[in-house]
Amino acid sequence: MAIYDDGRFKIVTEDSLSNIQIFKSLSLPTRRCIAQNAVAVEYLAGVDLYRQSDPPTGLFALQAGRVKLYRQSKKKCQILALPMPGDCFGAESLPTGAPSPYSATTLMPVVIVHLRHDCLQHLLDEHTDFRDVFLQLIIDRLKQFVTLVHDLAFRDVTSRLATVLSLRAEVEGLPHHEGIIYDRLLSQQEFADMVGTAREVVYRTFKKFEADGLVQMTRSSILVYDLDTLRAIALQEAH
Amino acid sequence: MAESSPVKLAELREIPAFRDLPDAQTQSIAAVLVRRHYAPGQIIFIEGEQASSLWFVFQGTVKIIKQSLNGRIQGLCLMNQGKCFGSCPLFNMAKNPATAQALDQVTLFVLPEGDLQQLKAHDPQFIGALLHLYSQRLGHLARVSDVLGTWAVSDRINDCLLTYASSDMQPTVKLTHEKLAALSGTIREVVTRHLNLLAREGIVQNENGHIIILNPDALLPPCAREDEKAFTT
Repeated sequence: MAIYDDGRFKIVTEDSLSNIQIFKSLSLPTRRCIAQNAVAVEYLAGVDLYRQSDPPTGLFALQAGRVKLYRQSKKKCQILALPMPGDCFGAESLPTGAPSPYSATTLMPVVIVHLRHDCLQHLLDEHTDFRDVFLQLIIDRLKQFVTLVHDLAFRDVTSRLATVLSLRAEVEGLPHHEGIIYDRLLSQQEFADMVGTAREVVYRTFKKFEADGLVQMTRSSILVYDLDTLRAIALQEAH
Repeated sequence: MAESSPVKLAELREIPAFRDLPDAQTQSIAAVLVRRHYAPGQIIFIEGEQASSLWFVFQGTVKIIKQSLNGRIQGLCLMNQGKCFGSCPLFNMAKNPATAQALDQVTLFVLPEGDLQQLKAHDPQFIGALLHLYSQRLGHLARVSDVLGTWAVSDRINDCLLTYASSDMQPTVKLTHEKLAALSGTIREVVTRHLNLLAREGIVQNENGHIIILNPDALLPPCAREDEKAFTT
């Protein structure tokens, strides 16, 4: 995959790595090695960074913008995660050499620090602190998927949509005089792909939440009026 | 449970994570491992309990499950010989995120937390082996999420039959309808109804305690066929 074809790239400095959460605990020599080998790339919205079944990719550290990680068969899609600036993704199948277990696509213009596959392998071989950090990265994603499996198996669509809306309010929300507001980011189809249902069902559930005075969705934002009730619905498990 | 007896070097070599380590290192790991035996159905640890060890399957099969507040069960994976589970102490997780239960007669080698932290700090090869195991598991869980989110129940049951079939000339699934239901995210009645339908169509044969697969191709869910095609072309 010629990832640089779609974006501009520039040299990375140690300072420009400071907002990447998992790099903070690394030693100075390791951070220097990353800075020497990584490039910062800008992409527009809708660019595939890698596809499910591609060979193992390098590591992507998101500096700005948002990306979706998802699995797709012909017509159906399941969004697995929406990394935030400061998060890393990709390279999860590097230790086994297996194909990438999911795809990554930009949801808006992004800036990403990219470490190529061979540089990543060098860091894993030569820098023990990086190996620990990479192991932590994989285990964090595992924990996230275990939670997702739990939600898909035991919670109904209403509860799963409430989970997505309340978690995003907690992580991304800004104070608003009527509640908490954040960028909508996803289309109704993408909300449906996150909670594992059809677009029409998500539409109806949103309408119910709006009628109950819990949220209001516009073209660009989501305003949460009643986070506590949304959290309570999120915790309900289907019978 | 469970008496415990020392772990032999040759036994440890059967676990992939330890296969390539130098003898002296493997010997010192064998000295700290504890052998435990579990009967079929016995709980090894429970979701939400304090996590304390890393577990390696030496013999038998362990199922890892999540349970809802209402008692429904979702299988995450089956761990057979050589697999490891229960990694929470490595990652500052105080509690087990899932439950582990012996599916048949199981022998486990247990690495206590203190020794685990020592190994993690001083043995890069061991970390490499763990990376391999967790990377595999991540791919598996991504697929489970996809299957639960987008596949119909009948496709999920079919996929479980193919996943847990023996690799003999006549593939056989040695799981009860209840366990199949847990692994495919549904209830036992739905599994039974679906298996009866498959039996009427000559795709499987229901036997006491196991299911014989007569026509594996007919069980491939449509999206799995697409995945397979994409993977091979």
